[in-house]
Amino acid sequence: MDEPVIEVSEVVTRLGGTLIHNGVSLEVARGEVIALIGGSGTGKSVLLKEIIGLIRPQAGSIRLFGQDVWKASETELMALRRRFGVLFQDGALFSSLTVEQNVAAPLREHTDLPVQECLELARLKISLAGLPASACRKMPSELSGGMRKRAALARALALDPELLFLDEPTSGLDPISARAFDRLIRLLSDSLGLTVFLVTHDLDTLLVMVDRIIALSQGKVLGQGTVDELRKINDKWLQDYFSARYEERA
Amino acid sequence: MAETGLRIRQEDGRTVAHAEGPWVLARIGKLPALPAIAAGAEVVLDGSAIESLDPSGAHTLMKRLREAGADPGRLQVRGLADRLQQVWTLVAEHQPDSQRTPEPRRGLLRQLGLGTVMLGRHMQGFTNFVGRLAAEVYRLVRGPGGFRYREFVAQMEAVFVYAIPISLAMIFLMGVVFAYLMGVQAQKFGANIYVVDGVAAAVLRELSPVIVAILVAGRSGAAITAQLGTMKVNEEIDALSVLGLSPYAVLVLPRVLALVLALPLLVFLGDAAGLLGGMMVAKAQLGLEFSQYWDRLDSVLKMSTFLVGVGKAPVFAVFIGLIACRMGLSVARDARSVGLNTTSTVVQSIVAIIVLNAIFAIIFVELDI
Repeated sequence: MDEPVIEVSEVVTRLGGTLIHNGVSLEVARGEVIALIGGSGTGKSVLLKEIIGLIRPQAGSIRLFGQDVWKASETELMALRRRFGVLFQDGALFSSLTVEQNVAAPLREHTDLPVQECLELARLKISLAGLPASACRKMPSELSGGMRKRAALARALALDPELLFLDEPTSGLDPISARAFDRLIRLLSDSLGLTVFLVTHDLDTLLVMVDRIIALSQGKVLGQGTVDELRKINDKWLQDYFSARYEERA
Repeated sequence: MAETGLRIRQEDGRTVAHAEGPWVLARIGKLPALPAIAAGAEVVLDGSAIESLDPSGAHTLMKRLREAGADPGRLQVRGLADRLQQVWTLVAEHQPDSQRTPEPRRGLLRQLGLGTVMLGRHMQGFTNFVGRLAAEVYRLVRGPGGFRYREFVAQMEAVFVYAIPISLAMIFLMGVVFAYLMGVQAQKFGANIYVVDGVAAAVLRELSPVIVAILVAGRSGAAITAQLGTMKVNEEIDALSVLGLSPYAVLVLPRVLALVLALPLLVFLGDAAGLLGGMMVAKAQLGLEFSQYWDRLDSVLKMSTFLVGVGKAPVFAVFIGLIACRMGLSVARDARSVGLNTTSTVVQSIVAIIVLNAIFAIIFVELDI
């Protein structure tokens, strides 16, 4: 029970001749809310895609729930995929389906529940994600940016995953919606016991809802810990990153 | 893991529902039926034997109790572990409405009306498009410096150069088939030489212009719609407008002009390929020497036959270009719409080509050309 939910060890990634990760290692325990930060081009999103099995790293291993993602068979990978949900940066909702059908889609693929029941569970998830019932029948193109993120969150929650990956959950949202979204994620994580792994640039998210921060720099993990712990690390980028906000607060 | 189950017992005059085992998504598909409870009864849910609970499980458990007759407002819960109690509370607060608004009826009359309105809007949009393009052409005529030569040349490459091999191959084969089939008939009458007349008239006047136009509609028309549509989705069209550039001048005009120039050229190449195909078959099947074929062609082929075929091409091209660009620019902001509009471009273009060709045929016959 105590084995880490995510275990990344010595990952090396080279994309188009550029060395992106040069031995990245990290662990995430059950129930933790972890944020991955780093400057542009440090390979945060790439690492996320490697963990969820979309991009293959050149070396190193990635384990989810104790199972090596890149050595798993197709069946094992399918079983693994049922245990985590992903929220993509722009929502990635299927544009030809209504919100309700979008959320029901994973249920219809992965369970043998009747259609009506799938749609009902979908409406529960939509409500959990903080959308009004009137949004169920809308097409994704009719939703605002914030609502689209919530709809995508509902889809990520469709299979009641134990682990949730979020790629820049608050990007493109106004500060009020962004904080509300942070609180929602924290609430879901606390009450459902979700492990959350998120990639973000949003300092407020880090301050409000994250248990531990992992900072990537120059292909390696630069440091990890709370905001206060990271501020003590002597690194130009980290200092600039935190000082931008702390000076005005002090 | 224990079986997922729900039992109803009467204890001290109260109805107690004992839930047990894992109440999770993977299990809720195969639950046994629940005996009915007196409607509106006060029910106590005993959750001490629940092993695990996720939102789907909690929702299903609530729904089961409600359907059995328990009053959701007076449902008491006891014995749930703290963590599970949190899940239960969260789900209880977010129960979706079980009442659904009925789907709007999709009767024949409604569909017909909807289709008519859509057709009207489509025509209106097309007229608007042609008008704006005409204004753009007028502006270009007054100041030809604003023409986008680079874009035009790039489009010529895509629409003309890369379409040469396929056009040649298609019309060559059409010439072969036509000469072969005519040859079979002509041989019966010993009228072998007339195959040349037939091939020349058919290929130059009808086959080459129509087949090449359909080919270009499927190839370049679809490409133009998909490209402009994706640019629209990425807000690139908006970005152009904000930079003070007209999408009509930058994107539409070079494409339409490239098509207008490319299609007659392709038809001309197709003509040559078709006659060549006919010539091969005439020699192989009918024993007609190349020189005989050539002499006959020289004496029967009128310039007007060639001009009729090549002259139709720019008209087809204008329609393909207008339809493709207009459908590309009217894409909504989603992937499905790109697919729908691309399909629509090809269908509309081909219909336009066939209809225009019929109109041309009537006009030319009436004019005795």
